[in-house]
Amino acid sequence: MADSSIADRVRQVVAKQLKLDLDKVTDGAYFAQDLGADSLQSMELIAAFEDEFDIEMDEDEAVKVKTVGGAIEFIERVTAEQHG
Amino acid sequence: MRICIFEDDKADNLYPLSLLRPTFELRCGAISLRERILRGYPFARDACYFVRDYLAPVYRRAAGKPVNDPAWLKRDGLLLVNGRMLALGDWPAAQGGDEIGMRGDDVAYARLSAATVAALDAADPLALIEQARSKVKTVNAPQTLISYPWALIEHNNECIAADFGALPHKGVHGELAQMSVIYGDKEMAYVAPGAQVHPLVVLDTHAGPVIIDEGAKVFPHTRIEGPSYIGRGAHIVGGKIREGCSIGPMCRVGGEVEESIIHGYSNKYHDGFLGHAYVGEWVNLGALTTNSDLKNDYGNVEVYVRGELVNSGSTKVGCFIGDHTKTSIGTLFNTGTVVGVGCIILGGSEILPKHVPSFAWYYNGHIAKGGGFDAFTDTARTAMGRRGVTLTDEDIELLRTARKMTKAERSEAIRKARR
Repeated sequence: MADSSIADRVRQVVAKQLKLDLDKVTDGAYFAQDLGADSLQSMELIAAFEDEFDIEMDEDEAVKVKTVGGAIEFIERVTAEQHG
Repeated sequence: MRICIFEDDKADNLYPLSLLRPTFELRCGAISLRERILRGYPFARDACYFVRDYLAPVYRRAAGKPVNDPAWLKRDGLLLVNGRMLALGDWPAAQGGDEIGMRGDDVAYARLSAATVAALDAADPLALIEQARSKVKTVNAPQTLISYPWALIEHNNECIAADFGALPHKGVHGELAQMSVIYGDKEMAYVAPGAQVHPLVVLDTHAGPVIIDEGAKVFPHTRIEGPSYIGRGAHIVGGKIREGCSIGPMCRVGGEVEESIIHGYSNKYHDGFLGHAYVGEWVNLGALTTNSDLKNDYGNVEVYVRGELVNSGSTKVGCFIGDHTKTSIGTLFNTGTVVGVGCIILGGSEILPKHVPSFAWYYNGHIAKGGGFDAFTDTARTAMGRRGVTLTDEDIELLRTARKMTKAERSEAIRKARR
């Protein structure tokens, strides 16, 4: 089950970076098709997640994440690995 | 005689240009340092190259000669030449007694007899030379060794002039359209067979020769000042190619270029100034990309080398751009900027930092992570395919290795950018 605090923070970061209302940021939403993120905004999202959670994300793995729900799962895993 | 051209421990000084190729494949004038060395030994019966290990798989395919082959070294007497040598008529003698030529602390060359080689046992040229030191006389070598990227620019004029002198033919053997002109001594131009110089082109030979190589096309409204070299299949699409330019094969170049080397297969199609710069392969410079090559206080330009700023000793130094880097429209490079391999530069009104690590992106005023290796290779495959070149598995492995090698400096630069 997703860590609610991480999940909420991921959604808030996405909303802020992509200038969206929070209710548009659903777990099933695709960053490119549904939320309109271009390649540069995707890179900015990765940087924003790293800043928010004080983690380092492998860019090759990070760019494979396509949905908000995927980002939540990915960040939960990386956070657990890097912060225990 | 047999000749071995080797890299030494200063190959990294020529980063980012040397990250994906041996130092001796860098261009100065119309040809590479390797071709310039070999020009002095037309009767060499065999050649072998020693390069950094990670380069060997790709280079072995390109070289068509033994690469990193210790058995070859031991087979007979040989002349070993440092691949950073800029040989301009002062080649080390192929014949004579055993001798090690030193340029400062660097080995410039070593001539070793079969008997000497047989008494030694080393797996690479520098180790072989080190073993020979106690038995062989050492002399001061007069030849120039290229120690930094800007040295290639500094010597480009004289190399082009020498390369013109070495041509078997001069004059127009291709197409020089009516209403184009060789302004100056017509014997100081060479338009190769298959080359086209369109109307309204000026080839100015007052200050040096102009070479238009096979299959090159020079489009209208272009002025090329000598000494300059336009490589095989290159297109010059209008603008000013000022003195001291070497435009490598298959490039597409326009705008204003001065005393610069574009290695090959790169595009600077649009307006924008490139001066005292060396641009690698598969680079695309967006419209209006411009570099500074002179500080406002006319002071010497400092350049990042191995992570430290080095005083170039020169007031005119532009930028050094690694292979596969792309810049956006309007990118502005500071004087003496180093941009690594595989970067995406989204410049704007601000001047970029003086060093962007390989495989990094630059946007919104800071250095950041790239878009992943798969996306990078997809783009490289597309860019190369447009020129009929295939990105091979060996190429991909080389790029992957280069990306790993540069990870620490990239991560550090990203961390600094976020503080």
